[in-house]
Amino acid sequence: MASQAIEIVQYHSLVRNLVAKDLKVRYKNSVLGFVWSLLHPLLLMVVFTFVFTQLLDQRQEDFPVFVLTALLPWHWTSTAVAAGTTSLVDNAPLINKVYFPRILLPVSVVLSTGANYVLGLPALFLFMALFDRPFTPWLLAIPVLVLIQAIFLTAVVLVLAPLNVYFRDTSVLVEVGLTAWFFMTPIFYSIEWVVPHLAAWMYRINPMAAIVSEYRVIMYSGSVPDPLFTARTGATALALLVVGYLIFTRLNRNLGEHL
Amino acid sequence: MRRLGGAAPRGDIAVELRGVSRRFRLHHETRTSFQDWFIGLVRPRGKGEEFWALRDISFSLRRGESLGILGRNGAGKSTLLKLITRVLEPTSGEIIVNGRTLAMLELGAGFHPELSGRDNVYLNGSIYGYSRRQMAEKFDRIVAFAELERFIDTPVKHYSLGMFMRLGFSIAVHLDPDILVIDEVLSVGDAAFQRKGYQALRDLKANGTTILFVSHWPELVREFCDRAILLQEGRLIDNGPVDAVAAHYERMLQAQPGEAAILRVRAVDAAGRVVEAVPSGRDLRIEVLLRVPPSGGGDLLLAIDLYDRDGNHLFGSTGRLADLGAPTVGEDPATRRVCAVIHQLPVAPTTLTIAATLQHPGATGLDEVDRQDTEVEVIAPWSVRERGLLRLDHAWEWEPADAAADALPELRVEAER
Repeated sequence: MASQAIEIVQYHSLVRNLVAKDLKVRYKNSVLGFVWSLLHPLLLMVVFTFVFTQLLDQRQEDFPVFVLTALLPWHWTSTAVAAGTTSLVDNAPLINKVYFPRILLPVSVVLSTGANYVLGLPALFLFMALFDRPFTPWLLAIPVLVLIQAIFLTAVVLVLAPLNVYFRDTSVLVEVGLTAWFFMTPIFYSIEWVVPHLAAWMYRINPMAAIVSEYRVIMYSGSVPDPLFTARTGATALALLVVGYLIFTRLNRNLGEHL
Repeated sequence: MRRLGGAAPRGDIAVELRGVSRRFRLHHETRTSFQDWFIGLVRPRGKGEEFWALRDISFSLRRGESLGILGRNGAGKSTLLKLITRVLEPTSGEIIVNGRTLAMLELGAGFHPELSGRDNVYLNGSIYGYSRRQMAEKFDRIVAFAELERFIDTPVKHYSLGMFMRLGFSIAVHLDPDILVIDEVLSVGDAAFQRKGYQALRDLKANGTTILFVSHWPELVREFCDRAILLQEGRLIDNGPVDAVAAHYERMLQAQPGEAAILRVRAVDAAGRVVEAVPSGRDLRIEVLLRVPPSGGGDLLLAIDLYDRDGNHLFGSTGRLADLGAPTVGEDPATRRVCAVIHQLPVAPTTLTIAATLQHPGATGLDEVDRQDTEVEVIAPWSVRERGLLRLDHAWEWEPADAAADALPELRVEAER
């Protein structure tokens, strides 16, 4: 395991170049391309705001900010999981021609989609300012949450990417799964609206529920995130990463034969 | 399995394979899915046939040597390269690679069409583990060699195939690998660039790069390689100087199936390695590789004859193929290996010509079907006191010393009388 860690350090420029490639291709080397990448969560924000404040008469104040604080990190999750799942299959020609640590492919997807998320945060700050939401020093805790989410997403794609090599319809199931996951995560609703005994379970089995609620506490409510709760979420993510890594190394062995 | 990085504990060995085999499972449906898996629960199907792409391959390559890998399509050449470049893992056996390995299996593998040539140079370099700074040093030379100065900031999707290949080739030769693995990629671009490409490879070779070169063109292999191995049906059937192996391969290509032929004759040591010299008085093993028609060729005769430097016929022996029961080589039942062992070769130092002849008992005696010769040097600590054609096992003996001692006192007694 130590030698693999050294190898990943040796290939650090590959990670950087893969992330740069993803971003350049996504933005097509233009500022407009970057704005375009934010369109998806912003449009969803408009739709949800219309549905919940106009059609359903939902009284949650500053609903656009309320929903955007969750939509942006969710957008990271959904793009990372979808693209991460197909990352090995998409790069089959390369994997069959050149040796490099294959783990870097799903990892770089999490990083590039994460960079896209972080670059989009100023848009969220803009909406916070427009709706006069409080800017507190607790915003400085955002990097911790970003780190926890990155660890969690890496764990997920490390399992799904090789699985998609063996079972090519994994990506189809992931698409359906992401929709279900979206509804099961407190994005367009608050965790406080959930029946209490189920809310506890939601936190336990869905790390995204915890992560999204933490973002919302900081950026929407402007209050203090519970450090113990955050630590627990982080520990869960790390444990999942170890499991994901072990599964990846196990499945990686016969990968070349199936690509 | 073990791979070694920069350190070279085993002296000047660049690549070594020990008993390497690789098995594939043939999946009848190329695409597996959960759907198939569920259907399989209800209606089980076979686990898929096994197929050994490579069987028990062993060879080693010293630093700076260049090795040609010959064989027909499906002989296992590509699998071998993928094992050496770590794209595939062996099913069993050990592969040791000392040094930075770079594979030219497909030029421009890993190029992204939307990125510029410049970005692709850096991306491609990092796929091989080179940092941005290392690539920046080589960048100008790479672009100049590929003759793409004007187009380096254009996305490579607008490149012609020739430009694409030129850039890929240029990156590969400028990365200064310790070991370069090439899979017939030199049909790059126009004739002028091809010449330049060959020259670049020659320069790399002159600078001590170890080269593994796969081709089914024996001519190219002859030009670039010192040594060659020949694969057939996943087995290594020949390993030696490039001219001999290429000749063997050419004979293999020319041999008509159904016709008996001698594919190769050579002197080997007890482990089966080719030897160019044998000490006088030691065992000489002669290995003959035969192609036998499917009918079995039961009445065919195999003759081994030995001639010295002056053409004297020293010895000859004939065996019936039916009695030999030679083991099959590889999966091809038509190829047989026969070994003749001459115990304690009693020949004086000379250049020994070994002739293997396949004969057919015809109406008027014996018809020669095929014949192949090889030469082996017989060496010995030959002293001035030995001469002649043969080196016979001999010893000088005095009358036994104790007998002489017994006789002496008697003489003395006689003298005293």
